[in-house]
Amino acid sequence: MLKGIHQKLEHQQTPAFFVHGLSALSRMVFFCALSIILMAVDAKLNYLSQIRQALIGGLHPIERAANIPGELIRDSKKYFASHNQLVQENYILKQQAFENSVNLQRLNTLQAENEHLRSLLGGDISIHPRAVLANISHTGRDPFRNVVIVNRGIQHNIQAGQAVVDAKGVLGQVTRVYPFSSEVTMITDKSLSIPVQVERNQLRAIAFGQSGNTLDIPYLPTNVDIEIGDKLVTSGLDGIYPAGLAVATVTKIDQDPETQFAKIISTPTAKVSHHLQLLILELPEYREAEKKSPSKEKNKEEAKPDAKNS
Amino acid sequence: MQKTPNLLLVFGSLLFALLCQLFPWTGQGIVFRPDFMLVVLLYWLLRAPYLCNIGAAWLVGALADLGAGSLLGQHALAFTLTAYVALSFQRRLVLFSETQVLAFTFALLVLAKFAVLILKLLSGNEMPTWHYFWPAVTGILFWLVIKFVLGAIAHPKSTEAN
Repeated sequence: MLKGIHQKLEHQQTPAFFVHGLSALSRMVFFCALSIILMAVDAKLNYLSQIRQALIGGLHPIERAANIPGELIRDSKKYFASHNQLVQENYILKQQAFENSVNLQRLNTLQAENEHLRSLLGGDISIHPRAVLANISHTGRDPFRNVVIVNRGIQHNIQAGQAVVDAKGVLGQVTRVYPFSSEVTMITDKSLSIPVQVERNQLRAIAFGQSGNTLDIPYLPTNVDIEIGDKLVTSGLDGIYPAGLAVATVTKIDQDPETQFAKIISTPTAKVSHHLQLLILELPEYREAEKKSPSKEKNKEEAKPDAKNS
Repeated sequence: MQKTPNLLLVFGSLLFALLCQLFPWTGQGIVFRPDFMLVVLLYWLLRAPYLCNIGAAWLVGALADLGAGSLLGQHALAFTLTAYVALSFQRRLVLFSETQVLAFTFALLVLAKFAVLILKLLSGNEMPTWHYFWPAVTGILFWLVIKFVLGAIAHPKSTEAN
């Protein structure tokens, strides 16, 4: 009798629509532990980059599908661009091309002369990196990081660590590559640093990304010779960024004699936040390897990118 | 007879949320973009926990990590914790009024944002501005839409059935 009631109660207490199996608490503990292990493995070890590449490659069709509406709108805008606007743009572009061609003629002679002089002096011939044009497919989805995703990846021989520039100057560096896309971290991201030189007096320094689209140059003494408006260019010491590319202009200096270091803030020359296209430069090691033996495959060790994965 | 929501609908809607998440959001859009996947996940957690449980929350979180390109496991951990809190109140939800359920869901969205924030700060990111919490507000609006649409799909003419 009692047993019967008990069974009936038990049956009532666990109807079919309640969760069976492990309790919610034990599930929660298990999956939390799994997440923590995953985070530790992802942050400290490199095992997961292959898996990440494969999964992002798998997500690619979905990503393409999500991009379709935006592309349609963009294409229809292009289609309805007014005749007048196109004529005007064509005129401006022709003028620019003309100006550039004059400069280019001078550049060719200067380059030949420069290489001749360098060979006379026995110095290295400066290398002109080849570049790949890439389109920005979207800005990163993580609000904590200053990255963009571009539509060139492993399929187009992009490697992690390659420098990225635009017409005005350095934009950043490729930090992760996926099969059909890659992630470019901007120089204004906190995790990226770039070796620079003041154009005026060749002073070397390292610029760090800072929030608010600026670069910070710490570790320079208070009495350092630097002025507002000084141009910062890449020094080429890291072997990733070719020397002499424009990086930033100094906009604010705080030289407090009480402190040991000057506080120097600069604004990037490249238009970091408004772009659709950018250039990805070849890695120097890759260039050298190719120069030595053009037939040799690029099975060289990948250069470590400056940026940490955050 | 009522048609119960099936597994296909649950994962179909989660896939749709993934699609929304992967939409190329830029500029202001990224500030106000709701966490689509979390909202749909919470809807199913509160509605049909026998189909969508903590394991699903973890999986959705891992997908969100992949999509965002952040450290794998951050969103997974945050979503797992949020799902646990959601499930521990799930059976009491029948006693709640509509607005109370709404407030509860909003609290869960904020909780998930806080969990991600703490994990991000621990991994060395900077403190964001208050705009960081906008997705919780837009998320609750998206939740209203989801509730209407998925309710209509999962229970067609439920008033007639009663």
